[in-house]
Amino acid sequence: GYVDWVLFLSSGHHGRGGAVLSGVCEDVPALLSVSTVQHQRAAVVVQPDRWRCVRDRLRAAASLPPAPGSHHSAGPHTGSAQVDVWCSQTQQRIVGYYQANACVSDSSPTPCALKIADKISEQFDNAVLLMLDGSKMSPDYRVPPIVMYERKDSRWMLKDKHTIMLRQWEETRAIATQLLESGDHTLLVDFDSHLDDITKDWTNQKLNTKIAELTSPANGSM
Amino acid sequence: PYVVKREKMASVSEMYDVGWEEMRDKLRKWREDNYRNSEQIVDVGEELISEHSSKLGDDIWIIYEQVMIAALDCSRDDLALTCLQELRKQFPDSHRVKRLSGMRLEALERYDEANKHYDAILQDDPTNTAARKRKISILKAQGKSAEAIRELNEYLEQFVGDQEAWHELSELYINEHDYGKAAFCLEELMMTNPHNHLYCEQYAEVKYTQGGLENLELSRKYFAQALRLNNRNMRALFGLYMSASHISASPKVSAKVKKDNMKYAAWAATQINRAYKMAGRGTKENKCSMKAVEEMLESMQITMS
Repeated sequence: GYVDWVLFLSSGHHGRGGAVLSGVCEDVPALLSVSTVQHQRAAVVVQPDRWRCVRDRLRAAASLPPAPGSHHSAGPHTGSAQVDVWCSQTQQRIVGYYQANACVSDSSPTPCALKIADKISEQFDNAVLLMLDGSKMSPDYRVPPIVMYERKDSRWMLKDKHTIMLRQWEETRAIATQLLESGDHTLLVDFDSHLDDITKDWTNQKLNTKIAELTSPANGSM
Repeated sequence: PYVVKREKMASVSEMYDVGWEEMRDKLRKWREDNYRNSEQIVDVGEELISEHSSKLGDDIWIIYEQVMIAALDCSRDDLALTCLQELRKQFPDSHRVKRLSGMRLEALERYDEANKHYDAILQDDPTNTAARKRKISILKAQGKSAEAIRELNEYLEQFVGDQEAWHELSELYINEHDYGKAAFCLEELMMTNPHNHLYCEQYAEVKYTQGGLENLELSRKYFAQALRLNNRNMRALFGLYMSASHISASPKVSAKVKKDNMKYAAWAATQINRAYKMAGRGTKENKCSMKAVEEMLESMQITMS
């Protein structure tokens, strides 16, 4: 099977992480934000699948309890709690977690990533864990820069590449490139930035509007 | 690392209607405030260097250094090399420039050569802290955390007042999940910087992560201290809310402790709500955040009680 996703921003710790959502299909793609080494940001935009929608609504979920020994500052907890509530309001749900490690050459899941993914899979059976492959984070790279893990027998195992299907990858890549060139990627707000300045909108409506414009059929270059 | 080819339709000075003096002053401000907005520095600095270098006087050398480092961040090795070559010509025997050469080699992942540069500096000047720190950075980049930690500890035995180093060490320990040692580093920092709200907040976060009643109480105290030092620190506010809530929910606490912590949590919740209301004023977009925070606080209370 495959996973349809709209990627959403949440807080991570070092490197960046975020929640993977599957959404009611408004044709509004959301933006995946990662920071690679040295404070650069690259963006990969993923569009929701137009035909497969998750109609489940999420009850307003309580926050994730702190896991002993895992480094969660209060940030990620409140982040995911806010995201939970926002999801229920917009009929989306958290279906996974993505993370980019600060060290570009190392894309293995950290203990923290595994714990967060565990928590999410308690609420959603087919949760995915996505690690970003830093070496492939380039606008002209041919393949999606992700490494996908799924839960099997209470462990996170590498998912067979051939069972992963991403829709609209080329279009997504093109949009991301355009956003990088126009400098719009600097508009990106993740939950960490939000905590630094709470007037910043972690739902990124401004940016999503720009993305929507770039994906509209009226835009001939697509 | 990749290069984003930006089609610059207009120069920086045209786009923002600024003259070269403003561009130079901007660069200075960014230097002084230690900003790492490398893309902007490259945009402004490259134009300043290529079109106004004669006007910059002696400032040009420090600008070359600043732009070079920013260029490395943006994978602009062409620009970095240009700056470096100018600096080498002007200061042929300088350790400071040699360190920049080393940094460029690091950016190109030529770590062995970079290390040779730093070793040469240290041969000449064993007290050169910059070279030692670069060597530690290389260990970090290579994923050799244990070695980096060991070297940094040795460094701190000699240079015990280097706050940047203590902070770096605390981060390395956090990455290794050695929270006890991370807390120790932050304690050093709090001792020498008692008014720094960020150190208090970070210490509180480490304690919170360690968990257990005693650590939660410590974390609550230090979140509160961070707020006393800066009442706009949102992480500290959320941290206070969460630590107090978890303490009050613990079956091991007395009725009095439970009541006190519920009070602290309620106070924090009010402050959070107020902060979000103020933040949301006038912007439609922030209504999401506000409502989400309200409901989140409600739902958290339900689970805590």
